[in-house]
Amino acid sequence: MPTLSCTVNGQAQRLDVPDDMLLVDLLRGPLKLTGTHVGCDTSQCGACVVHVDGLSVKACAMLAAEVDGADVLTIEGVSAPGEPLHPVQAAFKANHGLQCGFCTPGMVMATLSLLANDPDPSDEAIKQGLKGNLCRCTGYRSIMAAVREAGEAMRPDPTGKVDKAGMADHANNASQGQA
Amino acid sequence: MNQIIPVGQPMARLEDQRFLQGTGTYIDDMVLDNQAHAFLLRSPFAHATILSIDADEARAQEGVLLVMTGEEWVAAGYKPIPCRSGVKTNRDGTAYQEALHHCLAVDKVRHAGEAVALVVAETYAQARAAADLIFVDYDDLPVVTTPQAALAPGAPRLWDHLPDNVCLDFSLGTPDETEAAFADAAHVISLDLVNNRVTAVPMEPRGCLAAYDASSGRYTLWNSSQNIHANRGIFAEMLGLDADRVDHIAPDVGGGFGAKNSLYAEPPLMLHAAKAIGRPVKWVAERTEAIASDTHGRDQTSTVRLALDADHRFLALHVATLGNIGAWCGTVGPFTPTGGSARTQGGPYLFPAMHYEARAVFTNTVQTDPYRGAGRPEASYQIERIIDYAASHLGVDRFALRRKNLIPSQALPHVTPMGLSIDSGAFAVIFDQTLALADHDGFAQRAAAAREADPTKRRGFACVPYLECTGGGPKEEANVTFAADGTLTLAVGSHSTGMSHETVLTQLLSAHLHIDPARVAFRQADTRATALGGGHGGSRGMEVGGNAVQQVAGDIVEKARAISAHLLNSTAADMAFDAGRFRDSKTGQEITFDDVAAAARDPARLPESLQPAAGASALDTTAVFEREAITIPNGVHAAEVEVDIEMGTVEVIHFWAVDDFGRILNPMTADGQVMGGVAQGIGQALYENVVYDEETGQLMSASFMDYCVPRADHMPPMTIIYYEDAPTSRNPLGVKGAGEAGCCGAPPAIVNAVCDALREFGVTHIDMPLTPEKIWRAIEAGKAGPAA
Repeated sequence: MPTLSCTVNGQAQRLDVPDDMLLVDLLRGPLKLTGTHVGCDTSQCGACVVHVDGLSVKACAMLAAEVDGADVLTIEGVSAPGEPLHPVQAAFKANHGLQCGFCTPGMVMATLSLLANDPDPSDEAIKQGLKGNLCRCTGYRSIMAAVREAGEAMRPDPTGKVDKAGMADHANNASQGQA
Repeated sequence: MNQIIPVGQPMARLEDQRFLQGTGTYIDDMVLDNQAHAFLLRSPFAHATILSIDADEARAQEGVLLVMTGEEWVAAGYKPIPCRSGVKTNRDGTAYQEALHHCLAVDKVRHAGEAVALVVAETYAQARAAADLIFVDYDDLPVVTTPQAALAPGAPRLWDHLPDNVCLDFSLGTPDETEAAFADAAHVISLDLVNNRVTAVPMEPRGCLAAYDASSGRYTLWNSSQNIHANRGIFAEMLGLDADRVDHIAPDVGGGFGAKNSLYAEPPLMLHAAKAIGRPVKWVAERTEAIASDTHGRDQTSTVRLALDADHRFLALHVATLGNIGAWCGTVGPFTPTGGSARTQGGPYLFPAMHYEARAVFTNTVQTDPYRGAGRPEASYQIERIIDYAASHLGVDRFALRRKNLIPSQALPHVTPMGLSIDSGAFAVIFDQTLALADHDGFAQRAAAAREADPTKRRGFACVPYLECTGGGPKEEANVTFAADGTLTLAVGSHSTGMSHETVLTQLLSAHLHIDPARVAFRQADTRATALGGGHGGSRGMEVGGNAVQQVAGDIVEKARAISAHLLNSTAADMAFDAGRFRDSKTGQEITFDDVAAAARDPARLPESLQPAAGASALDTTAVFEREAITIPNGVHAAEVEVDIEMGTVEVIHFWAVDDFGRILNPMTADGQVMGGVAQGIGQALYENVVYDEETGQLMSASFMDYCVPRADHMPPMTIIYYEDAPTSRNPLGVKGAGEAGCCGAPPAIVNAVCDALREFGVTHIDMPLTPEKIWRAIEAGKAGPAA
């Protein structure tokens, strides 16, 4: 069993993992980070989206061993449980962008990634950015509104020209808050 | 600190924080000490005799704790899963043909995916691997997957004890008057319709976790279910247990939409396994397994006939349906295509005569059971589709045809030939309101502009009323307990699987008692918390559950009023309650609700009649609300679509809804119900289809690669408004129910709009889902038609 070293939500982790363990099973199992959900078995629902070195990935489509040396951010690292919500999470709440909550962590992680790449996304860009995430409750329009509002809240500059570094800092700060 | 939000205002959701931060607790997030894992071996055949099962090798595998087959299950004395259909009588008065299945197949399998053996092991991987080593000797049999095939002469029979594959032969309405009306009609329009088989696909797959405590002899079952109280009793009955020995609890549930109402095999299996191995046992469905074993919905084929007089007034409606109920009687499976689809036949239109008849038929497919709407969407689709179809055949304006036949408000209350009592509604008013909201007058211009911008594009428009009714358990409990620290616990027997009850029911209590919602803890779906519970179904959450909370809040205020009078040496009749204070109207003395609540824990300060139990509060109150009559939610939905005539693709440009749900308690969460329902309705109309191979009975749509759940880019902007000027007096809150509207309105709105877009090609009907291939073929056939 190979030994894996990585950072998860700002915390250094070192543990033995089986070769065939999926990243999502590492997170939900040994690391007890059950906010990352499993909604399908064909990597299509997006309930398990997390960030690996700043890129959003479906944690069911990656082996745990592949995150050796990487920085992993899960929903638990976006804002600490019980603490104030991250602007993306706050926008989901304000816009009723969630109902049963099962797809929500994946949606939030996908949104963070979408806004990091495009701080002022068009509706078309939002639709494309969320295409990998299924929601059965909301009909998506409230989620789209949440993404727009989160983008507005997070853009420091009213012209909409934003540094991506600022976004990354935000995510990192959040994860360090958890550590 | 939260604020008290008046009823009728949007209140941000109390459940959101945990869901947004990933700290919700769904079944698969629960880990009990020493927990074992279950896997179910499922049949690869749709119809086969089980000659033998050899599980010796599986039992010998490392980590395997239990292997069980159907033969062993029956030998243990367990009963099959019962059917609780609301209709069990054929039209001739004889009993329906009942076919029940056991939790594990015995002798025969009847659909691909039926559970054949249970394997429990230390890990899920071990259980799954061991199941592969179970050798089942199947002798496969011919398959029927459609009612048409199942009814054909010489068709294979699913059940040896039944002479044919018909479960229930149903008839309701006024058949003689209906036939007479058809005989005299100036116009008779007939249309065959398919209401496609779909599946609910809650994002959290089904799962459950059972534990047994040998010292007390008690079981605990955590279950991703939306019908906790009723199903506990039935599971206990199946297993020969006293229901009081089973605590049944739903943690956070990730969507249900009806599919988690049903009785399934897995919970009783886990209860058995937990006791058998003396350890907690968990089972969670994989997605493919869920699509193959969750109950499916709809799957009706109907011939719809409409009789009109020379002036185009509706004379009669006749609908003859074949309902595919799958391999056996689902929990209420035979009801949906029969009584369930009969209720709202004819929609909000005035019909002197109506006749609905249906046969519920067994096939080698998974059982059908309620899915969001359960019969009402089918009825809505039938009437709205045939009206547009009739208008194009008669060459009349489809909106004028509707307006002419809508039930006038002055005709209310009205009882339809189906026996449905409609108390309130403003059908013509909201129909015109919706046409205006959708700027129907500007449609021709929008259509022309779209076509000019891109000659391959055709716009279509539709506007359809719908009428439904609430259902589900008629009784509901709400109880409130007051703690010494000033906090309250509100426990309810209704159940939210995403529908925001934690927020709205707390909002109701908070506003009524003038208490900060942050002080209210919420409990639901837990047999330890309420004695009664109707769970979720039939848009009953506010209609029955909300009224239970309203009732308990009112009861608490009356108790507090009596206590306030006692404390101030006054009489209850003189104590007025407003903004959290009781005020003596004679002396002007005041006391806050909180001071009353503090006194309510102190026997010395309370009147004889309100002495609490030791350690309790005199304000602790339980209320049970029982509905007297179901309510009639209704509305009008409109859709504008754009069809690419070369690709056959459909884009929904905009969707409008004017809904009459009675009084709106929280418009934000009501919007959520409408939008989600519309999304599922659009899904059924355009994308979703459960497909079984007709020859082999294999499920061809068992993953998200084959079963198309709508994604963000499929959804249109929506405009939603509520009509609150046709109140119902059937319950104190004046609510009518919101959950199922979208599934009733959206499918006919979308299909009618697409047919409108394709009018120039002579297309008058396409069966759902309107896939690009079907649309393209209809266009090509239309092009060929006039030329030939």
